[in-house]
Amino acid sequence: MAKDSNDTKKNKKDEKRDEDLSEEDLALKQQLELYVERVQDADPNLQKVALESMRQEIRTSTSSMTSVPKPLKFLRPHYGTLKAFYETMGGSDLKKYLADILSVLALTMSAEGERESLKYRLEGSGGDIGSWGHEYVRNLAGEISQEYAKRQSEEVPIEDLMELVQQIVAFHMKHNAEPEAVDLLMEVEDLDLLIEHVDSTNFRRTCLYLTSSARYLPGPDDMLVLDIAYMIYLKFEEYPNALQIALFLDNMQYVKQVFTSCDDLPRKKQFCYILARHGITFELDEEMAANDDDREALQDIINNTKLSEGYLTLARDIEVMEPKSPEDIYKAHLLDGRASAGATVDSARQNLAATFVNAFVNAGFGQDKLMTVPSDNSSSGSSANWLFKNKEHGKTSAAASLGMILLWDVDSGLAQMDKYFHVSDSHVSAGALLGVGIVNCGIKNDCDPALALLGEYIDKEDPSIRIGAIMGLGIAYAGAQNEQLRSKLAPILNDAKAPLDVVAFTAISLGLIYVGSCNEEVAQAIIFALMDRSESELTEPLSRLLPLGLGLLYLGKQESVEATAEVSKTFNEKIRKYCDMTLLSCAYAGTGNVLKVQNLLGHCSQHLDKGETHQGPAVLGIAMVAMAEELGLEMAIRSLEHLLQYGEQNIRRAVPLALGLLCISNPKVNVMDTLSRLSHDTDSEVAMAAVMSLGLIGAGTNNARIAGMLRNLSSYYYKDASLLFCVRIAQGLVHMGKGLLTLNPFHSERFLLSPTALAGITIMLHACLDMKTVVVGKYHYMLYFLVLAMQPRMLMTVDENNKPLSVPVRVGQAVDVVGQAGRPKTITGFQTHTTPVLLAAGDRAELATEKYIPLSPILEGFVILKENPDYREEDH
Amino acid sequence: MITVSVKWQKELFQAVEIDTSQPAYVFKCQLYDLTGVPPERQKIMVKGGLLKDDADWSTLGVKQGQKLMMMGTADEIIKAPEKGPVFMEDLPEEEQVVALGHSAGLFNLGNTCYMNSTVQCLHSVPELKSALIQYSHSGRSNEVDQTSHMLTIATRDLFNELDKSVKPVAPMQFWMVLRKKYPQFGQLHNGVFMQQDAEECWTQLLYTLSQSLSSTGSSENPDTMKALFGIELVSRVHCQESGEESSETESVYSLKCHISQEVNHLHEGLKHALKSELEKASPSLGRSAIYLKESRINGLPRYLTVQFVRFFWKRESNQKVKILRKVDYPLELDIYDLCSDDLRKKLEAPRKILRDEEGKKLGLKASEKSSGSKDNDVKMSDAEGSSNRSGEPSIATSEEGVPSDSGTQMTGIYDLVAVLTHKGRSADSGHYVAWVKQESGKWIEFDDDSPIAQREEDITKLSGGGDWHMAYICMYKARVLPK
Repeated sequence: MAKDSNDTKKNKKDEKRDEDLSEEDLALKQQLELYVERVQDADPNLQKVALESMRQEIRTSTSSMTSVPKPLKFLRPHYGTLKAFYETMGGSDLKKYLADILSVLALTMSAEGERESLKYRLEGSGGDIGSWGHEYVRNLAGEISQEYAKRQSEEVPIEDLMELVQQIVAFHMKHNAEPEAVDLLMEVEDLDLLIEHVDSTNFRRTCLYLTSSARYLPGPDDMLVLDIAYMIYLKFEEYPNALQIALFLDNMQYVKQVFTSCDDLPRKKQFCYILARHGITFELDEEMAANDDDREALQDIINNTKLSEGYLTLARDIEVMEPKSPEDIYKAHLLDGRASAGATVDSARQNLAATFVNAFVNAGFGQDKLMTVPSDNSSSGSSANWLFKNKEHGKTSAAASLGMILLWDVDSGLAQMDKYFHVSDSHVSAGALLGVGIVNCGIKNDCDPALALLGEYIDKEDPSIRIGAIMGLGIAYAGAQNEQLRSKLAPILNDAKAPLDVVAFTAISLGLIYVGSCNEEVAQAIIFALMDRSESELTEPLSRLLPLGLGLLYLGKQESVEATAEVSKTFNEKIRKYCDMTLLSCAYAGTGNVLKVQNLLGHCSQHLDKGETHQGPAVLGIAMVAMAEELGLEMAIRSLEHLLQYGEQNIRRAVPLALGLLCISNPKVNVMDTLSRLSHDTDSEVAMAAVMSLGLIGAGTNNARIAGMLRNLSSYYYKDASLLFCVRIAQGLVHMGKGLLTLNPFHSERFLLSPTALAGITIMLHACLDMKTVVVGKYHYMLYFLVLAMQPRMLMTVDENNKPLSVPVRVGQAVDVVGQAGRPKTITGFQTHTTPVLLAAGDRAELATEKYIPLSPILEGFVILKENPDYREEDH
Repeated sequence: MITVSVKWQKELFQAVEIDTSQPAYVFKCQLYDLTGVPPERQKIMVKGGLLKDDADWSTLGVKQGQKLMMMGTADEIIKAPEKGPVFMEDLPEEEQVVALGHSAGLFNLGNTCYMNSTVQCLHSVPELKSALIQYSHSGRSNEVDQTSHMLTIATRDLFNELDKSVKPVAPMQFWMVLRKKYPQFGQLHNGVFMQQDAEECWTQLLYTLSQSLSSTGSSENPDTMKALFGIELVSRVHCQESGEESSETESVYSLKCHISQEVNHLHEGLKHALKSELEKASPSLGRSAIYLKESRINGLPRYLTVQFVRFFWKRESNQKVKILRKVDYPLELDIYDLCSDDLRKKLEAPRKILRDEEGKKLGLKASEKSSGSKDNDVKMSDAEGSSNRSGEPSIATSEEGVPSDSGTQMTGIYDLVAVLTHKGRSADSGHYVAWVKQESGKWIEFDDDSPIAQREEDITKLSGGGDWHMAYICMYKARVLPK
């Protein structure tokens, strides 16, 4: 009743409005009304003519979508009549014609959820779907996905739908609407169809949309989507992109396929550079590179043997080869008279801090002002002098710092480390062993010098020497999954006589070597170690490294952790929850899984009894999981702010570290402010963690604001030795590699996550959860685990023979172009430089010359340039 | 016989022959010839670890043309220095103080910041410290009462303790003795000790010390405290009505700086305070009349204490109320125009020397600038020499012993060495803090138990005019010349 009255009202209104219509419109309206009458005429010929004309009117008008097409508007009142008449018609071509028109009219008329447009479309004559306009197709796609879901649940056949899907996808793919096509196919779970429809003009946009939507898809769907993207890239011979997806999927079979599908040597070299940056161990075989010499050259690139050379080229180009002393970093002269006056006596702690600062700042440069200075007249060189200016375990870090300074340069690194092997002091030997590991970090060598040198020390009596060797092996062979090492290290885990710290470091090293491998044997060994250790040992801070070692095995491997997580429930209650949190956070690290973030937040919201420690790793876990993509990252930062306000002290201590992980080497201003505030916290451990994190977020950026903050903190805390130590370390981190390095485990435009890099940072952060015993205590050398994440933040262009090539590039802020039509600009606010150049967080580079063609679409790290055969020198 | 290549550091030795029938030691000797690295220091990487001297080649599986890697150097082996460095963390506490560059703080024992800041200021006077060291237990003469003696001993011990520790000191003993000697400091309010006026504490403590130290019987310096802190004043008392004029002398331990509407600077305040009106009986008029008293300084102390008269007794509120007016004070104070004519004459000669030396320094600098490259070296060395000469006397004041007129000459110029500040609205409330210049030239703010380093510029900013810390007592140290 009400509806009726409404209708009459509307009619009246319409009539009224009719008077406003222009003559043209009025004519059209009357015309259409005439057609509607004619359609209901008894004469089929007349009917046909009317339908044809109506169809003509609609089609010509729907081409422009700026306003409601007039024919549709005028036909609205007649939709009911036409529908009723349609039902009375006998099956004929005419009926199909009418169905077509009704299907279009349903676009505006159909009630929500009725899906009449789809219904009439299926009953209609078929034909070119695009002729009815874009909006119609889009609407139809929406209805299909609803219908599909309904039919799936009722198990009704879907063939007719799929036929329509084919048409729609083809239409979308032709008309720059790839996202719509992909969305529809995802709804109807038939992405394979995509491969038929992509062509060389639209596959890039399609794949971009696929890969970026994968982040937001649940469960196995995301893998499926990436699979399709991989196949499309392979189909169009976009091998670097295909390789990236293969690496993202951690599918070595796919990596191999990329190598075998391509037979261009320079391109293969580029693949090797990508693999090397990702930091995985990968052996080429004959199938992948037939020629022995070529294979050796390629394998060299994967083994990162050229990294040191490239890094030094960059340093020379930027003119930062001059070594820097810790004082250059502290810049005490900028602090008015506040710095402690009594520099007359050496402070062991300050010297240790200087050792670390020196190591981080001069990392990889091969020269510094403390450790590598040539011997002077005195019997032993001044490098030894500095070494012995450190106390006890401090000497371990000092000796190992030489490894950091000579990072990646295995040949001269080993030569310079050699002298420390003959020192009788066990702390120095331990440092030398660790240093060998650090030098070899990320570098593989056929001779396996690290294994040969360190191998025989892991069973020595002295625990500090053992730890040095074990940790060195872990760093040198991270991700190598070396069987030989496993058989050497695993027995230590289950040796009841081995001291706890040795066992803890063994677990960490095995976790590193088998990072993300889900290796059963290693997992078993660590689990047994956790079960065997006495309850009192499990309460010691270092015992927490055992669950971490276990967690690293499942880094980013999601569900694969579940069996082990079940087993962990049987552990001693002292460590059970800690283990649970660590496993969960490691397994979902870098996935952005929102459910897991919520789960972890839930654990943090509880107020605990004293002595429970598992909330620390839970807070870190939030950061590890959420760091995967920008949106989740922002949300996590906000959640952490809440935890700061409502959380218990053990949570507050972990929050700065989590913030540090989220923004590692990416100093976001809001996070910087939060950390600056926390660095003055009354709880000294919160302050220490905040200071460390200031270092982490500014790592390798030379960020002036953070440097200023830290300088002020150094005068604020000049009396508090522990905090001052942390401030110094943070200062060293900010100027890491004199600003040429980054700690960000994400690379290739934030798409890929290097597992070894993340593992290194995670270990360091777990160590920082207990500042007092670990970092400020006697295990400060755990800071060296950061070396796993250290990478030059450069763009180095090389020619096909790996010789540096200087070309102009534009560097600017990256713009998200996912789902945008056409060829939008990918960077904004750019400046033009010549390579090699530094790339800051969020920067993207593009070539500013047509002369060369890059072999990788992502300009990061080493990129091989090929001469453009079509390039003509412009005449001016 | 197989040939391999050996990589050593950056060098590559091609085609090194291995006699597989010989032990590996022979191979090492071959490499010794090539590299100069003694066999026992060679580390050669082969499958499964390092090459052992007695290893059998057949079991190692070294292949023809394989690349081996050798590590090792012929460099000298590092030896630990015979004597390791001494670290601050290992030092006994007294030595850590030296390294720290300033002495310890004092714990607040419940509103005792007035006492802490007073002690910290006086503690910065090395001459007082040495005078106290000479004061012995047994040396107590009968003129000094028991409590004064105890307070002196307590002061000595406290100074000692401050010098020796890094961590803050709790001045328990001193606090107890001080209350015993001056019970007014033991006033309680609601069961806690009340905040007191630091100036009162300062004056009383100096008075007690002067009493006990002057009577030690040590013949050398019977009047230590007077030489250190005493200011001789000569006053002309003049009555305008009767035209009477008389002069009197007195000795005080501090100059007052009166604060009124016209006073913006310490100097003005001091001048103001040296003129006063008093009413007394005039013998000539036979009734009381207004006398004008004008004082001048006739004898200068080693340490000039200036008190800002910031508090006055407000009857309505029954408390000492503070004047917040900003009164600037200089880092370098010249009191020449406050001195009597006699003293001025005495001061003229040393002041001239001082001026000359300063002028010389400036002049030399100017000439250095103007003179070109020729005979620059000579001038440089000249300048160094003279600046050394001129630098010494102004800085080097003998820390041992009490200065006597025989050793040094006063110049009438004083340098700021300690400031005692007050924050708050009345003398019996708020917070007292001492700002003391260390021997190193650095300023330390002693806020009870926490010493905080400060900049010299910030010290002169404590001149008042707000609710921030403002100077209440300033202590200046004389700049002297040797005779």
